[in-house]
Amino acid sequence: MTNPIADPIAEGLARGWRVVGGAHGAAPPAIECDVAIVGSGAGAGITAELLSAAGLNIVIVEEGPLKSSRDFRQLESEAYPSLYQESASRKTADKAISILQGRCVGGSTTVNWTSSFRTPSSTLAHWRTHFGLLDFSDEAMAPWFQQVEQRLNIGPWLVAPNENNELLRRGAQKLGVTTAAMQRNVKGCWNLGSCGMGCPTNAKQSMLVTTLPTALERGATLLVETRAERFEIHDGRVGALNCVAVQRNGAVTPDARTTRIAARHFVLCGGAINSPALLLRSAAPDPRHRLGARTFLHPVVASVATFDHLVAGWQGAPQSLYSDHFLDVDPIDGPIGYKLEAPPLHPLIFTTTMTGFGRDAAARFAQFPNDHGLLALLRDGFHDESPGGQVRLRSDGSPELDYRLTAFVMEGARRALLTMAELQFAAGAQQVAVGHELAPPYSRWAEARDGIAKLPMKPLLTKVMSAHVMGGCSMAADERSGVVRPDGVHWQLDNLSVHDGSLFPTSIGANPQLSVYGLANKLATQLAHRLSGRAVRLGA
Amino acid sequence: MQRRKLLKLGFASAAALALLGGGVALLHAPAWRNDRLTDVGRGVLASIARAVLDGSLPAPPGAQLAALDAHLERMDATLRALPLSIQTEVGDLLALLAAAPGRLALTGLATDWPLATVPQIQDALQVMRTSRIDLRKQAYQALRDLTHAAYFASAETWTQFGYPGPTKLA
Repeated sequence: MTNPIADPIAEGLARGWRVVGGAHGAAPPAIECDVAIVGSGAGAGITAELLSAAGLNIVIVEEGPLKSSRDFRQLESEAYPSLYQESASRKTADKAISILQGRCVGGSTTVNWTSSFRTPSSTLAHWRTHFGLLDFSDEAMAPWFQQVEQRLNIGPWLVAPNENNELLRRGAQKLGVTTAAMQRNVKGCWNLGSCGMGCPTNAKQSMLVTTLPTALERGATLLVETRAERFEIHDGRVGALNCVAVQRNGAVTPDARTTRIAARHFVLCGGAINSPALLLRSAAPDPRHRLGARTFLHPVVASVATFDHLVAGWQGAPQSLYSDHFLDVDPIDGPIGYKLEAPPLHPLIFTTTMTGFGRDAAARFAQFPNDHGLLALLRDGFHDESPGGQVRLRSDGSPELDYRLTAFVMEGARRALLTMAELQFAAGAQQVAVGHELAPPYSRWAEARDGIAKLPMKPLLTKVMSAHVMGGCSMAADERSGVVRPDGVHWQLDNLSVHDGSLFPTSIGANPQLSVYGLANKLATQLAHRLSGRAVRLGA
Repeated sequence: MQRRKLLKLGFASAAALALLGGGVALLHAPAWRNDRLTDVGRGVLASIARAVLDGSLPAPPGAQLAALDAHLERMDATLRALPLSIQTEVGDLLALLAAAPGRLALTGLATDWPLATVPQIQDALQVMRTSRIDLRKQAYQALRDLTHAAYFASAETWTQFGYPGPTKLA
């Protein structure tokens, strides 16, 4: 299938953007620059635009490939291996949680579902109280969010929700549960529903088509298919970053070509899990054992309902409605709350998320066009019994997240399964299958209520996923409580900043992309001024 | 009583296998080598596919064999895309399953893979799926998810879903 849409990346490359690595030619053995940025996702893109605006010479290092609209054929079988961490098979150490994270130019912003929320007020209040982040009020953050919203065209989605989302609204309304419309970062969206496989029309305002092209036009260098292996650290400063060329599956290339990047300043934006892992590989100072700790996932449980009519969950904007009702029932530090969303449904993500096998599974798959999916995202990190996970290194230096699903979290997962099933039956579902290995399909709410109440809510029996990895380099106002300072600079390394979701001291309680953008905007605008003496503004 | 004993034995063996990990696998014929499944690996995964994809695979024997062949080709590609650490894990798991002691300990399946019937393999998978031993649940989920991921990657299988495929842009 040919793609008639103009590809701004192909055009930029033809104009002579400085991109090396992979098919773009070997990266040189040594590079000197003002600032090296690790990663090219949400935090990196915003940082790159701002630092390049300040006239700084920057180099961006991305482990994944540079793919763009002409490559995005809306096929899961192509997208997962090329655009996602570990071929979309990343899991926690106990294999109980599947983790979706981007690994390509643009990072997760290239493959996310465009859901855009400012950091909730209650989350910021918790950060002020518990982590001393006094500058993080709604009022203080508002201008940073406003600039990003303008730059990335974040706004209300005015097209009618697809049936998959409409069913969330209908069921919720029957139960007196409020839903609201999501904001999305799109411009001229075709309503295809293929966001998770890379936007084939460049409508999604990801880093791939916004900030990164701006930085590349200004002369930034982008290294692709190149992994940041280790910082050289001496006397409280980073001297250089050592990188190695990698293949599509992350294995070092046969020639094991290396690049040493010397810079005045380094900005780590590899995302949670990968950012703390790079610091662990580099034996970065960590006097309080905070590094990689408190890594959060918004653990997600799912429920699929079959209706008597076509839902076509693959079609249309993936997530356009949501409900925060069950985040607000209890105080933020009480029993764990959850956000409800209706995700896109495509064959591979559907068959690997549903439980079971053989003829039962085949019969379920045959109902796919009439299926409606709901997700509940559990807000982890606000309670002592939800301490998150610990990033550690495997023997080959690759990262692994050890995340225990505590009884506290799993009690919330049970409430979430009950909520979703009740809501789906209220919307008229004929059958509901919750994500649990021992749950049969239910055909009535009373049956589901009794059945779910008895399910053993254990890891590896309950299906748990995550698409939001946060924390591990947490920000705090005092050295004892965090890895970085409130200005994003590492507590022990003066010329290293962290600008990504690993900064968050808790989970966000909402899809985190806008939280990463807003925070990176604040930190990078201030960093650009410190390094160059120039005042810059996003999108200027 | 006998079943209890078998489960106890199974637990001890599985724990031993978990402890020894890759070391045990090295004693067996490799299932994954030079970026491809060996005949050993293909044998295990073909039987797993017969059971997991029962009801999805075409029924006529000739068509089923062809579908399994194409599935195993896609499985090679699916595995190649994974990080080396996961490739090694999957290779070790398949090597363990290919050998009788490993197969018995992990799945409880008494009959060797090529001779086992679909209901026998499905019973074994169901025991693994709901086992109290994490290693068995992990192995079940890895085998099932890989099988679904490789099989349903093919557009030819989508007719079963009523999924029309990507929207055309022009």
